[in-house]
Amino acid sequence: MAGFYSAQTLVAASNKPDYPTIQDFLPPEILFQGTPFAINRIILVRIIATVVLLLVLGITASRAKLVPGRWQSAVEWVLDFVKNSIVYEVMGELRGKRYVPMITTVFMTIAVFNLCGEISGLNIAATATITMPLVFAIWTFGQYWGAAIREKGLGTYLKEELIPEGVPAPVLILVAPMNLLEILIIRPLSLTIRLFANMMAGHIVLALCLATTQFFLFEVANKAMVPLGGLMFVAGFAMTLFEMFIACLQAFIFAILSTVYINLSYPEND
Amino acid sequence: MTIAAASGISLFIPQTYDIVWSLIILVIIAVFFYKFFLPKFQAIFDERAAKIEGGMAKAEKAQQEAETAKKKYEDQLSEARVAASKIRDDARAEASHIISDARSRAETDATQITANAQRSIESQQQQALVSLRGEVGALATALAGKILGSKLESSDVQKSMIDTMIEQLNDGKKER
Amino acid sequence: MDMVTLAQVAGNLSAVGYGLAAIGPGIGLGIVIGKTIEGTARQPELGGRLQTLMWIGVGLIEFLALLGIVCGFLFS
Repeated sequence: MAGFYSAQTLVAASNKPDYPTIQDFLPPEILFQGTPFAINRIILVRIIATVVLLLVLGITASRAKLVPGRWQSAVEWVLDFVKNSIVYEVMGELRGKRYVPMITTVFMTIAVFNLCGEISGLNIAATATITMPLVFAIWTFGQYWGAAIREKGLGTYLKEELIPEGVPAPVLILVAPMNLLEILIIRPLSLTIRLFANMMAGHIVLALCLATTQFFLFEVANKAMVPLGGLMFVAGFAMTLFEMFIACLQAFIFAILSTVYINLSYPEND
Repeated sequence: MTIAAASGISLFIPQTYDIVWSLIILVIIAVFFYKFFLPKFQAIFDERAAKIEGGMAKAEKAQQEAETAKKKYEDQLSEARVAASKIRDDARAEASHIISDARSRAETDATQITANAQRSIESQQQQALVSLRGEVGALATALAGKILGSKLESSDVQKSMIDTMIEQLNDGKKER
Repeated sequence: MDMVTLAQVAGNLSAVGYGLAAIGPGIGLGIVIGKTIEGTARQPELGGRLQTLMWIGVGLIEFLALLGIVCGFLFS
């Protein structure tokens, strides 16, 4: 029962692969220990990713020309994708215009942070602590409550959400708390945990494949296990590609769900 | 085991420094996107759209001009065609007119010539008749005088005889 | 491991629990997404609206699976 967690303590014995543990997501603080500005490995990765993102996009934007080159077209394609396929598809152009910058920021940042998990040297997604997704989710939370209060007023919004039309009174006892729970807790929490859990699972599966490869190819004495190590390497390669896909997919899901939640705060008819 | 369990759930408990850094990074990125990156690209997009629209308007104008020119040429061509056929018709009409003119003139000339010839023949006949009357009378008188002697010296007799003879001649001529 | 123990099951029961917990949301997601595809194939012009509704449903259903992850750590 304790095997999963105690694996870490057995690493020294070297008769087992160096399995990844959840300690990977709770790295020790390496700078400014004990202060509110303490930096650990994941935060370092996050800072590096931020700097790279700002530099690359900043240079792209400052060199942007009317006739785009290849890189600029790629960046423009992403912007266009977020604008048309996510925001305008869900909200329509009239409402969506206001939220395009927010959704673009969320999408691109999460995509880049997620992809850090597959970049050698960083090897862990910058969104692989609960906090980063939580901050994004709180932003979304603030936006859809703000939209609701602005468009409907707080009272109308709560009344519409908690007491939906056409629901008989006895059922309302169940429906009202559930809906309140949904708009207050489930929406931001599901956004947060979905992203975090995906990144965590991705990292663990990837590290598992590569740790096993390392163990069977180089550390174990029995050379009969080498083909298994090779198989695990192929699996690790495939998982890397799959995780890249998942990284982009999760960014997309986070962005589109944020848009959907904001859109739900608007009145039904256009 | 208890430590492991505690660290398990601590995955889901945000740490203060983590919150601080997440917020700092998010604010930096958001400011960058809102203030610099997206407006810059929006400007590029707008400029491009304007350029493309301008180009399209220009192309449309050019096409319209081409169409007008084509229409003009076609009009001119059809006009020319009409004019040519008119000229051809005129020429044909004139030619037939000239031919009929010439024919009528020739006919008039012919009738005139025929009439002239007729007239001159008639006058010559008349002349011949007059001179015949004079000469034949004298000749016949002289002949008869020679045959009958001087019996026919008197001019009255002579005259009446000749007249009678000429009338007989005329009658004979008529009878024939 | 003493000699009496012939077979041992090692590992965390939470993993099995999460596996069980993921069955329901898995089936639910399959139904939601499949039905959305079906609906879009029937009426492609409603695709955008269906997709929006699908995402709302996916968010709700997936929360159960995500709750499973948290509970695995919470109650272990």
